[in-house]
Amino acid sequence: MRPYDPVAHALSINRRSFLTKSAYGLGSAAFAMLAAKSGFSDLHAAQFSKGVLQKPDLPVKAKRVIFLCMAGGPPHLELFDNKPVLKSLHGQAFPESFTKGKQIAQLQNTVLKARGGSFEFKKWGKSGMELTDIFPHIGGVADDLCVVRSLKTEQINHDTAHAFFNTGSIIKGRPSMGSWLLYGLGSETENLPGYIVLTSAGRTGQQPISSRQWSSGVLPSKYQGIQFQSKGEAVHYIGNPEGVCQSTQRQVIDEIRRLNGQLAEETVDPEIATRVAQYEMAFKMQSSVPELLDFKSESAKTLENYGIKEVGDGSFASNCLMARRLAERGVRMIQLYHRAWDLHGGLDNGMKMGAEDVDKATGALIRDLKERGMLDDTLILWGGEFGRTPMGQGTGRDHHIAGYSVFLAGGGIKAGTTYGATDELGYNAVENVVDVHDLHATMLALMGIDHHRLNVKYQGLDVRLTGVAGKVVKGIMA
Amino acid sequence: MRVLPLVAPFLVVGLLGAAESTDTVRFNRDIRPIMSDTCFHCHGFDPKSRKGSLRLDIRDDALKAGKSGAIAIVPGKPDESEVIKRLFTKDEDDVMPNKESHKTLTAAQKDLFRRWVAQGAVYEPHWAYKALEAPVVPALPTGGKNPIDAFIGAKLAEKKIRPSAEASKERLLRRASLDLTGLPPTPAETAAFLADGSADAYEKQVDRLLASPRFGERMAVWWLDVARFADTVGYHGDQNQRIFPYRDYVINAFNTNKPFDVFTREQLAGDLLPNPTEEQLVASGYNRLNMMTREGGAQVKEYLAKYGAERVRSVSNAWLGSTFGCAECHDHKFDPIKSADFYTLQAFFADVKQWGVYADYNYTPEPELKGVGNDHPFYPEVRTKNAYRTKKDAEFRAELASLYAKTLAEQKDQTDFSAWQKDIAAFLSEHPTGLLSPAGTFFLKAAPPVAPAKMAAKAPAKNTDATSVAKKPAAKKPAAPAPVAFAAGATIKMPKGVAKGEDFAITLNTGATPIASVRIDIPKGSIPADSAANITARFGIVDAKGKERPVAFHLADATHREPRYNSTFELTDINAGWSLKMPDADVHAVWLLDTPVTTKADEKFVIHFESNAALTLKASVSPLSHDDPLKVTAPETLSSHKDPRLTAATVALFLNSRGTDRATLEKTRTLTTTLRRQYDGYAWSMVTQATKPLTVRVLPRGNFLDETGPVVLPTTPSFLPGLRTSTEQKRLTRLDLADWINSKDNPITARTVMNRLWQIFHGTGLSAGLDDLGSQGELPSHPELLEWLSLEFRDKGWDVKKMIRLMVTSRTYRQSSSLRPDLKETDPNNRLLASQNPRRLDAEFVRDNALFVAGLLNIADVGGPSVKPYQPEGYYEPMQFPNRTYVASKDSDQWRRGLYMHWQRMYLHPMLINFDAPSRDECTALRSYSNTPQQALTLLNDPTFVEAARAMAARLLVLPAGDRLGQGFRLAMGRDIKPAERPSLEKLIAAQTAYYKTNPAEAAKLIKVGFSQSLAADPAELAAWTQACRVLLNSHEAITRY
Repeated sequence: MRPYDPVAHALSINRRSFLTKSAYGLGSAAFAMLAAKSGFSDLHAAQFSKGVLQKPDLPVKAKRVIFLCMAGGPPHLELFDNKPVLKSLHGQAFPESFTKGKQIAQLQNTVLKARGGSFEFKKWGKSGMELTDIFPHIGGVADDLCVVRSLKTEQINHDTAHAFFNTGSIIKGRPSMGSWLLYGLGSETENLPGYIVLTSAGRTGQQPISSRQWSSGVLPSKYQGIQFQSKGEAVHYIGNPEGVCQSTQRQVIDEIRRLNGQLAEETVDPEIATRVAQYEMAFKMQSSVPELLDFKSESAKTLENYGIKEVGDGSFASNCLMARRLAERGVRMIQLYHRAWDLHGGLDNGMKMGAEDVDKATGALIRDLKERGMLDDTLILWGGEFGRTPMGQGTGRDHHIAGYSVFLAGGGIKAGTTYGATDELGYNAVENVVDVHDLHATMLALMGIDHHRLNVKYQGLDVRLTGVAGKVVKGIMA
Repeated sequence: MRVLPLVAPFLVVGLLGAAESTDTVRFNRDIRPIMSDTCFHCHGFDPKSRKGSLRLDIRDDALKAGKSGAIAIVPGKPDESEVIKRLFTKDEDDVMPNKESHKTLTAAQKDLFRRWVAQGAVYEPHWAYKALEAPVVPALPTGGKNPIDAFIGAKLAEKKIRPSAEASKERLLRRASLDLTGLPPTPAETAAFLADGSADAYEKQVDRLLASPRFGERMAVWWLDVARFADTVGYHGDQNQRIFPYRDYVINAFNTNKPFDVFTREQLAGDLLPNPTEEQLVASGYNRLNMMTREGGAQVKEYLAKYGAERVRSVSNAWLGSTFGCAECHDHKFDPIKSADFYTLQAFFADVKQWGVYADYNYTPEPELKGVGNDHPFYPEVRTKNAYRTKKDAEFRAELASLYAKTLAEQKDQTDFSAWQKDIAAFLSEHPTGLLSPAGTFFLKAAPPVAPAKMAAKAPAKNTDATSVAKKPAAKKPAAPAPVAFAAGATIKMPKGVAKGEDFAITLNTGATPIASVRIDIPKGSIPADSAANITARFGIVDAKGKERPVAFHLADATHREPRYNSTFELTDINAGWSLKMPDADVHAVWLLDTPVTTKADEKFVIHFESNAALTLKASVSPLSHDDPLKVTAPETLSSHKDPRLTAATVALFLNSRGTDRATLEKTRTLTTTLRRQYDGYAWSMVTQATKPLTVRVLPRGNFLDETGPVVLPTTPSFLPGLRTSTEQKRLTRLDLADWINSKDNPITARTVMNRLWQIFHGTGLSAGLDDLGSQGELPSHPELLEWLSLEFRDKGWDVKKMIRLMVTSRTYRQSSSLRPDLKETDPNNRLLASQNPRRLDAEFVRDNALFVAGLLNIADVGGPSVKPYQPEGYYEPMQFPNRTYVASKDSDQWRRGLYMHWQRMYLHPMLINFDAPSRDECTALRSYSNTPQQALTLLNDPTFVEAARAMAARLLVLPAGDRLGQGFRLAMGRDIKPAERPSLEKLIAAQTAYYKTNPAEAAKLIKVGFSQSLAADPAELAAWTQACRVLLNSHEAITRY
């Protein structure tokens, strides 16, 4: 590959001129002819959808990622990681040997007490995977999941923890995971952005989320995540102005193209041709988004499976169905943020709401993809920016980074398994420890990318998603 | 193509210089980039990643025998040099760069290496860290005056390349205008320039543009990226911060051509200067522009470490063009930047007063921030007289006065006025203070007996906005306590503070006097000085049966009040409540009633006065009112009342006190609110305040929990000349750092700034990596030119305007920007500058250009607080603490320049993101210039651009039909329309006109977009021309500076 280098990019604008010029000839006549052809944009579209990797470094197991980000930090001890010893210590002083010298968030300067898991666990599926009793739909697809019980992160506050989870760094300007995928692999659709983000909010435990989390950072903005809004227009500026229908908009775009073509006759500037192509792509997006948002083709049964009360209501359930539709249309990275898990207090109630709002839709999405034969090449990641403490905080739990759980499903994942373990109190990841860089390296590997080799030149350095760290976790790969 | 007559002399220069350059391999030019990319990672500065104890970055080390006895480099003897053997070997285990690095060298690179060793392996210090040396200026071209052209021309001549012809005058003026002011020329300016045949016509234009206040606004966009200026703090809740005066400072610094060394000193250490001025303090806000957090559970030490580290990255990038970031955790792999350099630079800023977590949580106490919530500012700040606010204050006052004057002019019948004046004169003769303090009663009603939970829900029955009215407690009241009577003019002593749910009521026997305002006096000593009271008041009239009807007020203010905030905006009144910190003086507050009231004979006026402190007070009413609550009974007001004439002043008093002309009052009250938000011409701005320096340690791997690293003191970077170190006796300060940056010891700041200015005007830096002049950065395309510019800048007064003038008046700058297909082999990236480089406008100027062309841009104002253009609905929804509702600016604020757009770090305006503006979380020296579908969607559909197209259409429609398209091109492209462009556009307009004539409802919708309005004799025609103007504003030429 040739890594992206912003400096080289700035310079290549000129080099591109000669390439594109030679592609459609230097003469204005040739340009005009090409411009007149409706297929003009196709000539250039290829350059936008291709990634920097000419061919995959590794066998491709997954073609796209759906990241169900459980923002706020769901409690692993209620959901994935059963700790009877912790239960037996419930209400008693938490052993200092675990916590001494460790980072603590809101429990700083307080007396630490153990808090046992609130719910029962049971064995699910053929694999007999031990998961919470209260998420039956996720439990119902246990045989498709690989639960990692030994994840570690470095950042103990939401904002920086999200940054670290998405970009592998807390230094600003680092590209997010989705941007890396788009940059490396390109997009499989020209009608939609290749990286799409949707957000939803629960009824409790909300925390803010920054658009920085889907920024392309030092990569060009074409690799950024595009946020679909739950209110107003789905995509910023996707709708025509009031009083302009699609056919009049088309006339305007045609005329812009003609003017740009005339400019290109007298001025050698490759950006003109690129601009023309971008207007074509914009128009295609304008035309395809309404179809995407039109859920009429979805059966009542489907809506019921996902637990959708009202289509497009901005709920996590509705977003899950949208995720499937986006996956079908070739979007490379689909990221759903559900802001509901910062359960410093009222944890039991928060978990019940989570069961209603999240469990059903998550299970439905996995089953739906499987029924459509798409689960094989779709990688699903479900988890938060960190977990929650085995120590109680009133009626809840504080932020916890030393060991927590997430699950993966789909493309290339060893289904029906768990990986790693925390200690008897669920505090430290102790067995087969996975850190965030390892998770990134593994996800890239499943997408056919050697994480060492996906670089971007920035300020004279080769920047990577995984920094200088990261090892592929073979144990979770099929 | 016309060829400039400067080729021949350069050829001579080129030939003279050629003898040395063809064969000699130069370390900085040829070898260092290869080593830096492929060798230094394992054989460079960083001992931790060094392999085989070999380093190649230091010649002495490279010439020593290694462990195996082999010598890496034997000068003059490539065959004996281990490095050469390893480069050329076919053995996969031995070859360098090794397999793991995934790097390979080309045959040409290997050959260069061999020749360099053969020629003696001569090292050079890294070019950017060397002292500046005056280069020999090549011979000037015939008739040429500008040394820039000598350097550029010499290189072109060496390659036998002819420069491009000068751009057309239209393009040249549009280029210079956009580059120097961020705005295109007006058709009149273009015409004047075309008509000016004098030899220095262009230079005159440049001088005009440099003198324009738009110049400072344009250059500020550059520096605000570097300084990471934003309106919000960036982390977690991303709350607002108060810092806009800093932006005004930057604009002003460029406009007044503040020498760059002074600019540097004021920003880094304005607070440490002797008797710092307000301006210098505002400038020191630079040190406060790092992101900050107020998140619950954040660890103070962790965030102080984050703030400190960010500051090092930003300062080193801004002034030293170097990337210190890696050195937070380890010695830099490719540069001689050591981990210690990171922390010794950080130590300069250890005295900057700042809190790790900007709130007082019980788990992370910050006692100085007691009571600080999500709406509070980020201290410390300075209150400063602000030019924009002062101007607006005067404008709004004048507008208010003219509104009254207009009302006066329209006043034909003076009967009502005369009658009112007679009443007031009678009142004043009896009550010369303008106040009536009648007898009455007071009583404290206990909390109604309701369940505590319910009570809590009902408790905050406070006035929350200007028109809110009194609410009666719904629950059944206990038996009323006996009222206590007081005499006229008496002070009342509250029996106790009013608890939640309790009601302290004062009834007044106001008689027949109309009540336009209410005043509460709290005499000195009422409560001890410095003690606090939280007060709200509401009013009503109680009839004979004890039934109360509420009386609303619209504005209240007090002589003394503690600030209250809404998203860091200080409230300008006490409408929502009054926080009083008792001074050692008398205090009073005045409430202006929405409509004056008069009690009937059997009615009483009642004041519900909630104060948590037991106050001594006096209650008065007045038939008088005013725009300003505190001027109702001021001496000058009372003397105005004696004026029997109907003047603007007396008409104002009449309107406010009488309260009947609601239409006028609505306008004056709105205007008054806006006027009060100018804060008498003052603003608050974050500043640097020096405090006892925090201990700074080298943090192993950047880990803030690890306190094993050595404590460090401020020291200038060890790899740069002119080292200055702290001693036990004298700790260096930020001022010392600034002095070193500005000193003749320091070569890199001038190089950094000149390189960046060059990029602004020529499209690419002389060294293309604007943020890294280190060894991974690029050797400049014209090293001598950068050297010459840097010396000219540093040693001749750090004169920014002079250097810019030099650049934009060069022939190099003035060339055509059409790229050169004939040079695709020799100079594919146009680094030799045989032509100008076209460049898409920066995000802010894409906006400015469209609004300016449309005639909508507000160019009357410079500076001031940020504004909020239209933004997609719901965009801020995922933000919390506090929740944010985006309200688009009204009035002329809607059409202000892009640099004044509200810069929300977490959710930057989509238009800005789409056009590559950075969120300014950290220092940004180089924006990218992407070309995306999102840009097309923005220009096509963002209401700002649709509105601009419609306003532009309206401008064109007032012209004769035949002139319209031509003027459209002059406005949007700065040139005449070409005949070939006309037919198809005319066809479009005809088709669109026909469409909108048959679809008038669609036409009506299109021409309604935006807050502004255009007069339309024929809506279909306006809609059709709006479409045509959308085409022009969307064309690539309109958003590109050619």
